[in-house]
Parts: sequence; structure tokens; C-alpha cells
Amino acid sequence: MSNLQIFVILSGIVMTILIAWYFWFAPKAQTRVALSESGAQEVAITVKGGYTPDVIVVQKGRPVRLTFTRQESSACSEKVLFPDFNQNALLPEGEQVTLEFTPDKAGEYGFQCQMGMLRGKLIVE
Amino acid sequence: MTQRDPVCGMEIEPQSAFAKREHMGQTFYFCSDSCVDQFDADPHNYVMTSATTGFNPERTLTRIELPVSGLPLKEHSTHLKATLHALEGVDVVKVNGAAGRLEVQYDAQKVDVARLVSAVKSIGFQVGVTRVKIGIENLRCASCVNFIEDELKSTPGVLSATVDIATQEASVDYLPQKATLSQLNAAIEAWGYKPRPASSDAPVDKQEEAHAREYSRLMKMFWFAAIVSVPVLLFAYPQYVPVIRDLSMETIRWAWILSALATLPVLFYSGYDFFTGAWAAFKHRSANMNTLIALGTGAAWLYSTFAIAFPSVFPEGTSEPFYDVVAVVIALVVLGQALELRAKGQSSSAIKKLLGLQAKTARVIRDGKEMDIPVEEVLVGDVIQVRPGEKIPVDGVIVEGSSAVDESMLTGESLPVSKKKGDEVIGATLNKTGAFKFRATKVGKDTALAQIVKMVQDAQNSKAPIARLADTISGYFVPIVMILAVWTFVTWFAIGPQPQLVYALVTSVTVLIIACPCALGLATPMSLMVGIGKGAEHGILIRSGEALQTARAIQTVVLDKTGTITKGKPELTDTVLSEQSSVDGEQLLRLAASVEKVSEHPLAQAIVEGAQAQKLELTEVKDFDAIPGHGVSAKVEGRSILIGNLKLMNREKIALGSLEEQSKSIADDGKTPMYIALDGEAAGIIAVADTVKEDSAEAIKVLQNMGIEVVMITGDNRRTAEAIARRVGITRVLAEVLPEDKANNIHLLQAEGKKVAMVGDGINDAPALAQADVGLAIGTGTDVAIEASDITLIKGSLKGVVTAIEVSRATMKNIYQNLVGAFFYNTLGVPVAMGLLFPFFGVLLSPLIAGAAMAFSSVTVVGNANRLRGFKPKFSVR
Repeated sequence: MSNLQIFVILSGIVMTILIAWYFWFAPKAQTRVALSESGAQEVAITVKGGYTPDVIVVQKGRPVRLTFTRQESSACSEKVLFPDFNQNALLPEGEQVTLEFTPDKAGEYGFQCQMGMLRGKLIVE
Repeated sequence: MTQRDPVCGMEIEPQSAFAKREHMGQTFYFCSDSCVDQFDADPHNYVMTSATTGFNPERTLTRIELPVSGLPLKEHSTHLKATLHALEGVDVVKVNGAAGRLEVQYDAQKVDVARLVSAVKSIGFQVGVTRVKIGIENLRCASCVNFIEDELKSTPGVLSATVDIATQEASVDYLPQKATLSQLNAAIEAWGYKPRPASSDAPVDKQEEAHAREYSRLMKMFWFAAIVSVPVLLFAYPQYVPVIRDLSMETIRWAWILSALATLPVLFYSGYDFFTGAWAAFKHRSANMNTLIALGTGAAWLYSTFAIAFPSVFPEGTSEPFYDVVAVVIALVVLGQALELRAKGQSSSAIKKLLGLQAKTARVIRDGKEMDIPVEEVLVGDVIQVRPGEKIPVDGVIVEGSSAVDESMLTGESLPVSKKKGDEVIGATLNKTGAFKFRATKVGKDTALAQIVKMVQDAQNSKAPIARLADTISGYFVPIVMILAVWTFVTWFAIGPQPQLVYALVTSVTVLIIACPCALGLATPMSLMVGIGKGAEHGILIRSGEALQTARAIQTVVLDKTGTITKGKPELTDTVLSEQSSVDGEQLLRLAASVEKVSEHPLAQAIVEGAQAQKLELTEVKDFDAIPGHGVSAKVEGRSILIGNLKLMNREKIALGSLEEQSKSIADDGKTPMYIALDGEAAGIIAVADTVKEDSAEAIKVLQNMGIEVVMITGDNRRTAEAIARRVGITRVLAEVLPEDKANNIHLLQAEGKKVAMVGDGINDAPALAQADVGLAIGTGTDVAIEASDITLIKGSLKGVVTAIEVSRATMKNIYQNLVGAFFYNTLGVPVAMGLLFPFFGVLLSPLIAGAAMAFSSVTVVGNANRLRGFKPKFSVR
């Protein structure tokens, strides 16, 4: 086995570890939501290839107001779904669409586009 | 001289009057606020002499009605009135809180509508202003913007207008009762521009427009990549192409360099979405289909460019590029996305069909004039004229006239329903025979139809539990594929045949390209969307994907008796005469019905209706007396009559003879017999019963044939219950169940290990519906959003239960096909792409074929879901 082959094998191991770490194990940045004057927890989310921010931390028992703005025409992201809250909305390109609901149980709830290509997480504390 | 208050009749001094009003040239004085308000509500009522035409040329007051939401009831309206009166030129302010209307009479020279509206808004009320967007064609000059704006603003009823030269649109706030759309258009035309119909605001149309735009964008990207693909492909395999194979190596190398340049715009124009999407996902520490395509095509391009730039690094004859992979794969995947989008558009056809039921225009009466306006502009409180053969535009209550209305599209009631003043009408139903006027009570998103549409859309976007599995898988899918690609490369490089680098690169690129997380992700939502839409087309509103999935596995269906199997309303069934009866059957019924007409008992109603159905004429009744727990006694046409049960007959000592036997056998059939005695002699029996719906037996038989156990549950006594059960073919009967115990009985059935569906009306059976695995509510008409139910059958028939289960089974089967297909595709495709077959058969997958397979696997999923559109239920409940 040549040095080059050994190098490629070692690179393969390193790549595997990197991929697994980056996509699964690395801690994700969380966005904490501040309370607005009206008592609702308001977040503006940009939809472009993903949700920014995508991990949102809110408090339970207070209304959450999520305003989505979709900045791409790709049909994948035209809908956003919160299956656990039975909430969904059509997101026309460039328009602000607001979803409002009150999470009353702590936990982690996913949100996503219709076919699950874009994903985000709502953490209720 | 004193004046008479026209409302209460009190004589009052004009100077000390609480208020005065001028109406039709007369002046009226009032003693109190309450009298004024009563007068204002309907001044015509109080005008004694109405010889005048009501037109007073000296008055220059303009009258306007403003729809205002959140109006206070009369006693609290002082603040609003005072605010308006404080404006100069405002003469009369009338508040009608119930109808949500504010009427103002004002001097148009001193104050304008916009000021009135802002005054109303300033104290916290909302004025029903309509906003439209009107497109203006070829709007170029900036100065024209101001001219058009001014022209629009000077149109009566327009509160504000802005014209945006960038979007070529005018945005106008106006009062629909003052200005019409055609007036606004005329204002734009006055400046020589052509108004374009405003783009529709309906979300479905908007989505369709967006899809059309996206489709043409994708197709442009496809064609670009496809056209570049042709020469790139020819030079990629020079040895197979005549003419090219004769070219010198030098020429071909130049062609490769050109290919490198030509595929760059393919990457960055046609493949734009993949690269931006992959980058965006990467930033979020996630990976998806875009990541795979971007990595695959990006790696192919970089390798190729490296190979032609530094051929000396590679062993002899292996420094060949494969730019064809870049161009062809991107072309195919983009084409796949375009086709998928087109197929998706078809899946939402059910919603379009529902929305198509809606009337487009309404003929409203405002300020005494009939006008046709778009249905979106109808306001709560508007009075709308409907002629025979027209669709009713919104929900409301009839205020004048009567008619028969075909409500079959929403309630499934095939016979037209007769409607008179005070009855409710539902938007989207069809007026058949008469003309009437009705007041709108629900408009826009509040109408029954809009709620149905909303419910269906919500359900289409909900999740079936099975989709969560697919979601979990696809969450790990892409990184796993990336790791597999890495090891494919490593393995081919370490132990593969020569040229190792080429094999390693081609196989790992193929792995990246063939994996299709989209097919997995699309499998459930697409079928769910079509399936739930299909249900809605057949009058079955499925609330969620979960309900749909559970309905497939139903083993036991529990049917409530009253109102579900039966019509829920007693009907006259038998008339029996005694041997010594002095009257014939018709006479007996006529006399009994005459008495029962006075009674308030629910069974009495059935007898009266039975007599009316036979067109018998009912007569006067005297000395009517209800004897609780026994029956009634009365005098008709000079004869004394007794109607009641055995207790009554025994108390009055009336010999029944053979009637008692007959009565028992009638009761055994589940009917309720009533004895009738005339002048102290038994005359006969009249029986009423809650009759079985015509199609119940048929539907129950089909359910049983589907292998489902059918159980009846009722609070009635066992004898009646079993009589009905026999008639419809049910063997298991839960009788004498108290309403509060119904849920418990469902629980007991579930304890037998069965998946139980409960069918009942949404109100009384709510706990049982909630307890069951699937609750099906039989609702009719407006009560579509029955909370406790998972599925609502808007057509009253039990056949809906069959169809609901059929829809569920067909949809779930479709979902399984999709999931299994997508799963097998990936678990077979990826290993083949890795070259697993190579050691045995020497077979390797070309990345081009991988690209085609990937593109069409997701199209196949959408196509398969669309096959559901051909679903035909056993019964067509139209």
C-alpha cells in the first residue's frame, strides 16, 4: 500500500468524523426570543435555502408570533408547517406571513417545509 | 303649540324636546334618546302623512352609510355620536350596532368622507374600507402618477390612492358603497391608461401564478443546460462520435477547455438553486438534496478542470474530463423539478373545485339601488337580492321573499329546502324557484364554504404519523450518503483497478447524485394532499393526516341510532282501525291530527305532518287538555276524542278488544303506538316511529362486506333498538345506554383490542366521538367545523362512512407505495452506484443515468400520488 493510499484512507476517516460532527453532534446556535411590549414572543424568520434563525427558544404559555419572509422562488419552501401545533402557512415570495399560536407544553417541536427539506426547531421552555 | 312625539305619543314643547328630526319634509320632536333611536331605526314607520316625495331641494345634506365593526349597542354610542357631531357640517348621526352600520348625514361642502372615517377611527372603531390593487398598463411617466392619484382621490368614496410606478399598480382604499370598481377604472382611463384587472388576491390563484413563474424559470434553466449539454456530451466521448473521433487530440483538448468554460454558466445559472441552497443549508449545519447535487456536480467540474490543466499528474490516457456529468445532471434534475412542480399543481385541484362553487358577484342593495359587485366586496349587513337560478353569494338571513334552495353541494340534501323570511341561507348554494332578499351575516373567510376550504387546506398540510418516520430517516439521510460517498472514493482508490483516481471519483460522484431524499420527503405529503382533497370532493372532511391514517385500520364501527341510522325525526307509519270503529282511516287521522296540531309533543308533529302529506284538512279543536303521562283529550266536530297510551284508555275505562294485541306487535317493530277513542269507544291506533334512512341498510351491508363489525348504540329500550337493528342488518346492539355512558361503551369495545370508529351527530355524541379512535360526525350544512370529530360527513348519509374508509384505505395504500418505492430506490440505487456489482458483473452505473434516475424518482412519487385523483368511491354520493 502506497503512502498516497494510506493518506486517502486516513483522510476518509477524518472526513467521516467531520461530517458526523458537523451535521449531528456540533451544538447549534440557538436564538432566544425576547418578549415584546404586547407580551407576545415575536421572531422574524427569513426563508432562503433554510430558516434563519432555525433554532428558536421560546417560553411556554405565552403567545409566539413568527413572521416568515420567503426570499426565494424555489417551490420547495412555499409552505411552512408546524405539525405539532397543527399550524401551516403559505409563504408567497417576498411577503410577510405571520403565524401565531401559544405553546403550552415544554419540549422540542420541529417545523419544516412541506417535504421536509428545510427544517427548524422550536424549543419551548 | 305642543308637538306629538311620533314614537311614544307624548305631547312635548318643541323648545324642550330632547331631539328633533326632519324626515320627508316633516319635522318631528322627541321626548327621549330611546324614542329618537326607535325613530331612526325605521323613520317610515312613524310618518303619518306621506304625501310628499321626500325630496327637499333646499337641503344639501349628503347621506352615507359606513360599515363599522365593533359598534357599541345604543346606550354606549354617545361618545361616537359626540365625536362626529363635533365635526363641522355633520347633521345627523345614527348608530345601528346590531347591523354594524353608522349612518351620517353631512354637508359635503364642509366635511368629506375621509374626515368622517378618520374621526370614527380616532376613537377606536374600524371602518369597512375596501382596498384594491389595479394594474396600470405601460405606466411610464412619473408625472402621470400624480395625475392618476389625484383623479382617483377625487372620485367620490375614495379615501386614499397611491400609484406605484415600479409595480405599475394603483392601490386604492375606498368605500364600496360609494364607489365601484368600474368608477376607479374609469378614473385611470381618463388619463389615457389602460387598467389591467387587478391581480387576484385569492391565495390559490396567487400560488398558481407563483408556480407558473417558477415553472418558466426552471424551464429556462433547463433549456440552457440542455443546449450546453449537447456539444459537451459529444466531445466527452470522442471515440464514439463520427467526425469527432477523426479530430486531432489537440483539437479535442481545445474543445474540452471550451467545455470547461461553457459548463461554468450551467453551474452558476442553471445550478444556482443547488449551490445557494447547499450553502444556506451548510450554514445551518444541515444538508439536503441541494447539498448532494452541488457536491456531485462541483466535484466533477473541479476534477475535470484539474485533469485538463495538469494532465501530467495523471497516468497516461486517464486525464479525461467529464464535464458532461455537470451539464447533463443539472439539466435533468432541473427538468425533474419543473415536472414535479407541474404535477403538484394538479394535486390541489380539489380546493379549486370547492372555491369554484363560490358565486363571483353579488347583487347588493345600497342606498336603495341594486348594484352588482364582486363577492369579496360584500359586507356584513348588506342586503342582497337573489333571483331564481342564481347562486347565493354569502351566508345570511332572508329578510324578504321566499324560495326553494338547492343545498346539495354543501349538505347532500338532494331535495331543495324551502326558505322563508327569517331562515338562514348558505353561500354557494343555488336558489331555485323564488326571488328573495337576504341580509349578509357572514362574508369572506367566515362563510361556511370558506371554513370548509380552510379545514381541507389545514388537513392537507397536516402530518400523518407515518410521515414522521420518513422525516426521521431523511434527517440522517444526506450526511450518511456523504459518508458513503467518501468511503466509496477511499475504497476504489485503495483497492480498485486502474485508473484508480478516475474510478474513485466517478463512483463517489454517482453516489452523491443518485441518492434522492426528495422522494422520501414527498411520499406522504403529496398523497395526503390528493387523498384529503378527494374526500372533500365527496363530502367527507378529514381533519388531519392522523385521522386519515387511523381510519384505514378501523375494525369496528359504532353507529348511533337516532339521527345516524335513522332520520332522527318521527314519522307517521301505521293507522289501524278497531272493528267497531265509526270512522275510516282517513277520518281517524284527520281528527287525530286536528287535535295534535294544538299539542306541543314531538310525536304530535309527526301525526300532523302525516295528515298534511295526505292533504287532509284539519279542523277546529275545543276543550283541549293535556294529561301528563297519559295523553290528550279534546272535542272535535262535536265529538269527544282521546289520544294516548294504555294508561289513558284504562283510566277512561275504554274496552280495547283486539287493539291491545295489535298495539303490542306494532311496538315490537320499534314504533310508538297511540290509542284513539271517539265518544268513549276505541276507534283505532296511530303509530309513529323514527324511520330508517333509505340508504342505511345498504351502507351497513357494504361495511360488513369490508370486514368491519357494525355495532349500534342507543339510549332507547332494547325492543325498539333491536327492531331497528333487524331492519338494517345489525346484530350487535348496545341499548339503553345513557348519553354519558356512550364514551365508556366505546372504551369497552376498545378494550377488546379493536380500533373503533364512532359515528354520531357532533353535539350529543361529542364525548363518544372523542373517545373513539376515529370520530365521524354527521353534520349538515353550516356546522361543518364540528370540534369533537376527526372526520365530518357533510352529507347526512351513512354511505359517507364507507367512502371515508375507502378514501383512507386508498390514500394509505398510495403512501405505502410511495414510501416503499422511495426506500427501495435509495437502498438499491446507492449500493449499485458505489460499484457493489462491479466485482461480480463488472457493472458500473454512469453518473448520467444516476442523474436521470434521481430526477425522475421524485416525479414518479408525485405522479403516483396523482393517480389517487382517479379514485372512485363505491357509492357516488352526489
